[in-house]
Amino acid sequence: MASNADRAPPSTPGAAAAKTPNRRARSADPNSARQSASARRGGATPHGRAAFAALQKRRTALFTPGKERRRSIRDQRETPRDPLRALSRLLAPSSQAIHSSSSPSDSGANNSSLPVVAEEDESHNFDDDSDDFMIERPRLSLNLREDDDDEYSELKPPRLSGLEDYTAQSIELPRRAISELPPGRPSLGSVGRESDYHGPDIQSDDIGIDSGFFPPPVMEDPTVGGDSLFPPIEFPDPPDESTFAMPAVESSPAREPMFLEDSEPRVGVEDEMEMEDEDENENEPFGLMDSDNDSPGPADHQPEDTMLSLVTDQRAQSPQNARRKKPGKKISKHGIEYKSLPQGVVKRLATTFAKTAGMGKAKISPDTLDAIMQATDWFMEQLGDDLQAYAKHAGRKTIDESDMITLMRRQRQTNPSTTPFALAQRHLPRELLQELRMPVPAPIKGPRKKAQNDAREDGEDDVT
Amino acid sequence: MAPGQKLYPRATVRKIVKAHSKCNVSKNVDVMVFLDYVLFMQSLMKEAAIDSKQAGERGVSAKSIKKVTADTLAKFKG
Repeated sequence: MASNADRAPPSTPGAAAAKTPNRRARSADPNSARQSASARRGGATPHGRAAFAALQKRRTALFTPGKERRRSIRDQRETPRDPLRALSRLLAPSSQAIHSSSSPSDSGANNSSLPVVAEEDESHNFDDDSDDFMIERPRLSLNLREDDDDEYSELKPPRLSGLEDYTAQSIELPRRAISELPPGRPSLGSVGRESDYHGPDIQSDDIGIDSGFFPPPVMEDPTVGGDSLFPPIEFPDPPDESTFAMPAVESSPAREPMFLEDSEPRVGVEDEMEMEDEDENENEPFGLMDSDNDSPGPADHQPEDTMLSLVTDQRAQSPQNARRKKPGKKISKHGIEYKSLPQGVVKRLATTFAKTAGMGKAKISPDTLDAIMQATDWFMEQLGDDLQAYAKHAGRKTIDESDMITLMRRQRQTNPSTTPFALAQRHLPRELLQELRMPVPAPIKGPRKKAQNDAREDGEDDVT
Repeated sequence: MAPGQKLYPRATVRKIVKAHSKCNVSKNVDVMVFLDYVLFMQSLMKEAAIDSKQAGERGVSAKSIKKVTADTLAKFKG
């Protein structure tokens, strides 16, 4: 089309080359005339050509898109701008007459030197607001930046909101069933609950033993309130205390029936424990704490709730064993006695891992060790429950290694690239690992892998 | 650690698991249990160290242990 526009006007084909400069000279468009002159000037060196190209680009950016922007056809301008610019360059001589006819009065007197396109810009300015002329004129040279401003002001909000929606929906947080939430844990065995009770009952100035195991509102109130906030509400009567501890137990829907079933025999178990306490006087894993709590606990206690009353009575009857730190026997929820892990082992592990965790040569204080021992007991109880569930599901009465491997995979401790044995080699210290292997040299490696294969099959069966 | 010292009392671990699960415990399960416990302790001490560092304490305090125990136990829920 452009070539047609060039070729159509000259009637004699031979004089086409001579006629084009003539037509340019004849046409009143100064833009094209200046363009050709500067092209002659700047075309000498590549730098000059580049500078001229930049100048030309700026000039066209100054004139052509501004006109379209004023008409606020921003969407249409984006794509057809370049073809339109090329077309306007080619058609500039012939389109000149139309522009002069369309803008008759305003621009003619003012802009004799300005190009035609600029004339139309100014006429638009006048159309918009004649008072802004002195302010508008410098804005003519900043057209591109104005364009950007317009784009930002129009585009910003939807983009931001879209991104936020996207991120908010794309993050998937880890989920657990309600029955598996930590607040549901107080269905632990009698020892766990006994020490659970010890935690909230500690009315000394620091947070109770197991502050993490109750839902924060329930737990924080007694501990914080002991200092400042709610002393008259929580503490005067222990029945409140017992009631605030018990909802945590009942808050786990899955384990509640089990707890209810066991509650009757467990009372007997507690009685046994009490008897043992009187005999042995060493059933207090947190004996240190107890010495502080003798005064508030049993003084105004009403023996309504069996277990809590037993615990407090225990403390009331045996204050002399408060300082004993030896871990005594505990009773699981199945009524089986057991001892917790020796403190030496736990302390050694804790020290090692505290070192590797970057705490340097920090010593494990007795309080910390008590807390760790509590965590150990809970961990063992949880592990026993899980293993029992797996074995029962498999129809066994014996906990197998496959159960343990399934458990570790469920804990995300092992995956296809991490075998349990590799974990053992990595995490158990080398000399300990050697000692571990020495008593049972062969069976560790062999059956474990076999069991792992079994577990894989089991896992596939579970999945399918 | 003294070289002659036992790593951990196997019988005790066995009894603990047996008491909590009311099931028999087959051979070598206690090794795995102890391995799992070691992993648990590692995670627990790591979290507690982070927590106590954030609190500006020098060593690992009982408070930070108690704070992170619930989360770590939930992580090791099978």
